[in-house]
Amino acid sequence: MTNLEIYNNAFKEAFEVDEAQLAGLEYQGIAAWDSVGHMNLIALLEDAFDIMMDTDDIIDLSSYEKGKEIMAKYEKNI
Amino acid sequence: MPISSDKVQVLCGCNDLDAMTAQCALPPFSKVVCEFFSALSAEIMKHPEAKQYPDVVTFGFFCRRGNIQRLKDEYSDKISNRLGRGVSFHIAPSNVPINFAYSLAAALLAGNSCIVRASSKGFRQIGLVCECIQNTISLVEFREIASRISVICYERSREINDRLSALADVRIIWGGDATVTELRSSPLSPRAVDIAFADRYSLAVMDARAVIDTADLKRLAQDFYNDTYLYDQNACSSPRLVYWLGDNEDTASAAELFWEAVHKEAAARYHIEPVVAVDKYTEACRMAIEHNADIRSGKDNLISRIVVDSLSADLPDHRCAGGSFIEYHSSSLDALKTIVTKKYQTLSYFGVDRQTLMQFVVGNGLSGIDRIVPIGKTADFSLVWDGYDLIMQMSRVIGF
Repeated sequence: MTNLEIYNNAFKEAFEVDEAQLAGLEYQGIAAWDSVGHMNLIALLEDAFDIMMDTDDIIDLSSYEKGKEIMAKYEKNI
Repeated sequence: MPISSDKVQVLCGCNDLDAMTAQCALPPFSKVVCEFFSALSAEIMKHPEAKQYPDVVTFGFFCRRGNIQRLKDEYSDKISNRLGRGVSFHIAPSNVPINFAYSLAAALLAGNSCIVRASSKGFRQIGLVCECIQNTISLVEFREIASRISVICYERSREINDRLSALADVRIIWGGDATVTELRSSPLSPRAVDIAFADRYSLAVMDARAVIDTADLKRLAQDFYNDTYLYDQNACSSPRLVYWLGDNEDTASAAELFWEAVHKEAAARYHIEPVVAVDKYTEACRMAIEHNADIRSGKDNLISRIVVDSLSADLPDHRCAGGSFIEYHSSSLDALKTIVTKKYQTLSYFGVDRQTLMQFVVGNGLSGIDRIVPIGKTADFSLVWDGYDLIMQMSRVIGF
């Protein structure tokens, strides 16, 4: 799987959304991405990429696009 | 000897007291314990019901590999000559369902076996987490953990308290002054130690202007709800006093916006028990008589606002739960100087600079306030809690 596929799968699993809904997706933009959904997403991303995210990055990950920038900090280019 | 009897129900884990006391202690953050929590986290996060319970998901999030590793790293230079004390016996509070799980986590991370008395109020969260623990310890790689955990519940019983206290090396008593006093009548063995959490009082400080200006009032209301109603306002860190910073006009507008947003959350999610409703009403009346408070309860009594124009030293005696808030406003924090005592624990804030708050506490040498956290974070568990470093307190040092 490519990094992009891994990244997308985490979002799809956390929020039960389709690939088509991912672009532009934002925190609190859909009901599933609330604070509970956010924890789920982070846990899935950390697991899938085998990384440990800093607290600031966990808070900053406020959109699908922003998350890609943050993953790059952990050497996961998407 | 089996733990379970007609009086004790084992919710998950070991049912054999002899097997539990026979376990050797582990070093803090041992590999198998860290791996257990990572597996438990995955089990909780994927549980189909977990999403309904923010407190359960938060615990699952706390246990995830990255967080446990981060905690381990923080302790790395302090634990090389330490071992768990042995058997820990926990008395979790009856009103904060998930607390038992954090207490267990801290003790297991410190290297102890854990007998945990969870609330017997039948919270689904407890059953759910126990189910996940059971599934995880059933895995062959965690056999070692299976004989180190026993989550039980029983109705108040001196006899059972006596029995479990006698075999504990460390006893952790949550639930406040009354529970601490009750448990202290059950003797510990001579070498054992108590970690007791007394009654505390917490407050929230909000900047009126910031509340008026915020783009995300709903988020603030949700955060505040999670700090208070989620635990029936019974957690020691749940704010009971709401201290507005601002002038009359701003505070009036901010309070109206804020409570309306909180009301929406509470109306959707909170079920008020009749006995709590009566307590709230009685307490509001008492405050009106004794403190000349202005009572604003709304028509459904979900939020009981008790607005006072001066702060008295006996505020912590006002212990009404379930959405009963003392409100005060001022242009500065100065009124806190004279009323904060050792009882004060958590100061949560919105729209106020945290350094300013820290300066206020330290600069004035206040005898209370042990934590300063944003609203929404009051219940976030930390291994340093209420002035105790739980890992250090629950492990012993080998001097060499």
